[in-house]
Amino acid sequence: MMNSGTPQKKVRLKRFLVLAAVLLVLLAVNLAVPRKKVPPQVGVRTLKDLAELATVEYHVTKIVSYKDVAWYGDRKILFEAAATVKAGIDMNELTDQDIQLNDDAAVSITLPQPKILLFNMKPEHMREIFNESGILRSDFSNQEKDDLLSQGEKDIRVKVARMDIQKRAARNARILVESWLKKMGFSQVNVSFRGQGVRP
Amino acid sequence: MKKILAVIQIVLLLAIVFMLYNPLAKLGLLPSLPALFHGGKPQIEETPIIIQQVKNIAQMFTQTFYDEYVYDTGLMRTPPFNVNKRLIFIAKGEVISGFDLSELSENSITRSGKSIVVKLPPARILEVIINPSGFETFIEQGDITFEETKKYHEDARRIFERNAREKGILKNSAEQGRQMLEKFLRLLGFESVDIIIPEAR
Repeated sequence: MMNSGTPQKKVRLKRFLVLAAVLLVLLAVNLAVPRKKVPPQVGVRTLKDLAELATVEYHVTKIVSYKDVAWYGDRKILFEAAATVKAGIDMNELTDQDIQLNDDAAVSITLPQPKILLFNMKPEHMREIFNESGILRSDFSNQEKDDLLSQGEKDIRVKVARMDIQKRAARNARILVESWLKKMGFSQVNVSFRGQGVRP
Repeated sequence: MKKILAVIQIVLLLAIVFMLYNPLAKLGLLPSLPALFHGGKPQIEETPIIIQQVKNIAQMFTQTFYDEYVYDTGLMRTPPFNVNKRLIFIAKGEVISGFDLSELSENSITRSGKSIVVKLPPARILEVIINPSGFETFIEQGDITFEETKKYHEDARRIFERNAREKGILKNSAEQGRQMLEKFLRLLGFESVDIIIPEAR
């Protein structure tokens, strides 16, 4: 009985020691491998010419909320985010054919279709309203907050594009260009938009 | 004793599996364990957007300055326990400059036959844009509040504006505005075009 039990015990102990040794080696590897971090790369600072006429500005707000519910505790966060969106026309798209002079006092101009030119979410217009994590949960990191606000930004961009911002931008651009051309001495001014027969 | 050893062996095997997985996750070759349990990127809840204000404007954008900046708060020690705090983030965004044409008055345009004189207001910085998608946290150490982060983000915006001014954005903006307007006015049949732009402050 004693003789048959002892080798088995030895085998078990050997297996146990091998496992422990493997574990120790792996522990050393785990500690040695650093977390992957992409080194920051700073791009080239560049100045670029623009020729855009912004004619409408929208101020919008959105509540950005996120709930992470788990059996071992919840994490909840709520922000109020605000954005400024400007729309108008890109004058670079204006060609010689878009301007027709009938005489010294009459002009017809075809403007390019308006588009969203600028989207700005200023940090000073963002507010953290609520932030709570259960005792077994980690707090929201800066990166997580940035990611959630980025999602909010994406959502605002999509929803603003579906609004009437471009229609308003076109209407204002027509009023603006008409008034300038009249100030320049043109008594008869006709402003239309490319690919659009009707006046906005 | 047999049972205890068997349990220890199972625990050791699980630990080995974890230790094999973890370095690969750290290197980014496998998803991290929290990501596995939470099913990837957290998703915000669906909420509407509210229009607070609609404004008619007349702004001519003539120059943009793209910038990237690595912002480092440096090591900060917070009382009473002298806990170390540090935040390093990368900010990407742009500075837009041009003219606020709503400042144009009746006297700003003078026409005489085929000659025209236009007086523009000085070129100025119209927007400094670093959206949330333009911020990337690189190192975050210690407990940094949202208000503190906001302060650093605002500081990064000020740095962007300063860099743009140093690069000569306002001078370029005025020149581009002059060229753009001159081209437009010549298309309207004017033979003599004079654009007057005061120097930016």
